Amino acid sequence: MMSVRAMKAALKQQAIHFFVDPQWVIPSIIAPFIFTTVTLFLFRHTGGDLMLYAVLGGGVLGMWGNTIHSSSWSIGYDRMNGTLEAIMVTPAPLSSVVFGRCLWNAFLGLLNALAVFLVAQFAFGIDVTVRDPLGFLVALAATLLSLAVLGMVFGAFYVVTRASSALFQMLEYPIYVLSGAMFPLVVLPEWSRPFSYALPATWGAEALKIASLSGYDPLGLGYMGALGLTALTTLVFLLVSLWLFSFLEGRAKVNGTLVRY
Amino acid sequence: MSDGEAVIEAEGLTKVYPAAFRLFGDGGREKLAVDNVTFNVRRGEIFGLLGPNGAGKTTTVKMLSTLLIPTSGTATVLGLDVVRDAGKLRSRINLVSGGERGLYFRLTGRQNLEFFSDMYHVPREEKRRRITKLLEIVGLTEAADVRVEEYSRGMKQRLHLARGLVNEPEVLFLDEPTLGLDPEISRETRALIRHLSEEGVTILLTTHYMFEADELCDRLAIISEGRIKALGSPYSMKEAVRNDSIIEVEARELGEAQRRELADLPGVSAVSVEHLEGRQRARIVVANAPALIPTVAAMLESRRVISIRVDQPTLEDAYIKLVNGR
Repeated sequence: MMSVRAMKAALKQQAIHFFVDPQWVIPSIIAPFIFTTVTLFLFRHTGGDLMLYAVLGGGVLGMWGNTIHSSSWSIGYDRMNGTLEAIMVTPAPLSSVVFGRCLWNAFLGLLNALAVFLVAQFAFGIDVTVRDPLGFLVALAATLLSLAVLGMVFGAFYVVTRASSALFQMLEYPIYVLSGAMFPLVVLPEWSRPFSYALPATWGAEALKIASLSGYDPLGLGYMGALGLTALTTLVFLLVSLWLFSFLEGRAKVNGTLVRY
Repeated sequence: MSDGEAVIEAEGLTKVYPAAFRLFGDGGREKLAVDNVTFNVRRGEIFGLLGPNGAGKTTTVKMLSTLLIPTSGTATVLGLDVVRDAGKLRSRINLVSGGERGLYFRLTGRQNLEFFSDMYHVPREEKRRRITKLLEIVGLTEAADVRVEEYSRGMKQRLHLARGLVNEPEVLFLDEPTLGLDPEISRETRALIRHLSEEGVTILLTTHYMFEADELCDRLAIISEGRIKALGSPYSMKEAVRNDSIIEVEARELGEAQRRELADLPGVSAVSVEHLEGRQRARIVVANAPALIPTVAAMLESRRVISIRVDQPTLEDAYIKLVNGR
């Protein structure tokens, strides 16, 4: 069960925190901006679609970086504040609170992607005209939603232990590669592909690229195929996250670990 | 105090914390925090759980407020099982913990209350009215739009209480509500708790302040090492030491060794030692104080005794006798 009221309240709360707490500017704005700038410098002599590919990759990296830092930290912040119990004693499902916060983080990711495009267009003079603007926007929304859901999965682990941050720090960079944001999936080793294919962000990034680049479709999925797989994997991760919240909340209540920080 | 129905019923409630998993180092052993606790709280009552640190008070409250799952035993609040019906129960109860944490420090007092009102699905049209009223009750109207990080400790505690009331709970759990507060703020907080009780809220509070339990509680349970040692009204607790008297000794060199020696004297049922600035005060619960004074004086001769006098027993003496006594 999800509570829309709790989601909206959590989204608003996260937004207020963003504006009053300058520390979030670093993972949300500065870090992705630097990533993109570095990527664009690396690709600056290639030109054409490859540059646009780099811009798209930078955008997805920015969104992913934002998700892993802000969303997974969502519950960690409550642990630190001592507010986790205050939330859990209310009837609102914790998963709804985390999802609301993840939605705000995803929205920040959208602003971030927009900033990347503007930098590419005006600072590097790259033509960022996309082939199918409507398809691009739909794919962008789907990718953001999928990242919000992925943030929920990570957030759930913080319910049971404060040590989750170590796991997520470890996951950040592999997912940059596995999601195909940095390199095309077809150049990755065979063994890594099942991991890539399980990630909603992979298919979101594919849909974005198909909508943007003429003739890009290395896996032969088509736009709808990539979008459908984004939706399917997002749904699977959503169900997994809801189950995780239920299971891990139960464990935390048995072990008495809600207040440890 | 109300003689009404029981709204909290704990039956054989037990909590064992499992040993923590650690990748490196020892995770420790499992810990019995609450051991077979049985009590009930009647509607409108202020019921206290009184005990030293680590006695199991907070664990008991957390089980009753759905934050911990009991290892065994059962508990119902407002007729709802705290494990099976936790979802239904939460909208009708609330929990307030003492201390600095438990609030969003970067948000204002009003924003904190708005957030938690939303968590309880307080109707939108009601939310604004209720928050204004709560801020008024706890005396934070002026500071409502100031960030919590700028609040004093007392203001934070009052905001905690307001947060605990956003859903107009029928049962309110207060865990050490005056912990660390200065005397004036503590007095205001106790007045607020009494006011809530008069409004019909059933209150279960934990405390290790004797006078607080004495002043506020209709009934209380003394809990130590996870077990209930005594249960009844503060008056009936004092009755446990009615036939005793107290020898109060102030000296400059009283330690644990002397406390043990005094406790082993015939007729002594409990001894507490309080450490004051540059001196110690021992209270010896004994059946016949005048008869024992010469023995005590002789025993403590070399301990730089300042004074020895006979006193009437208090709730604190009853508590010491029940928790530590023989």
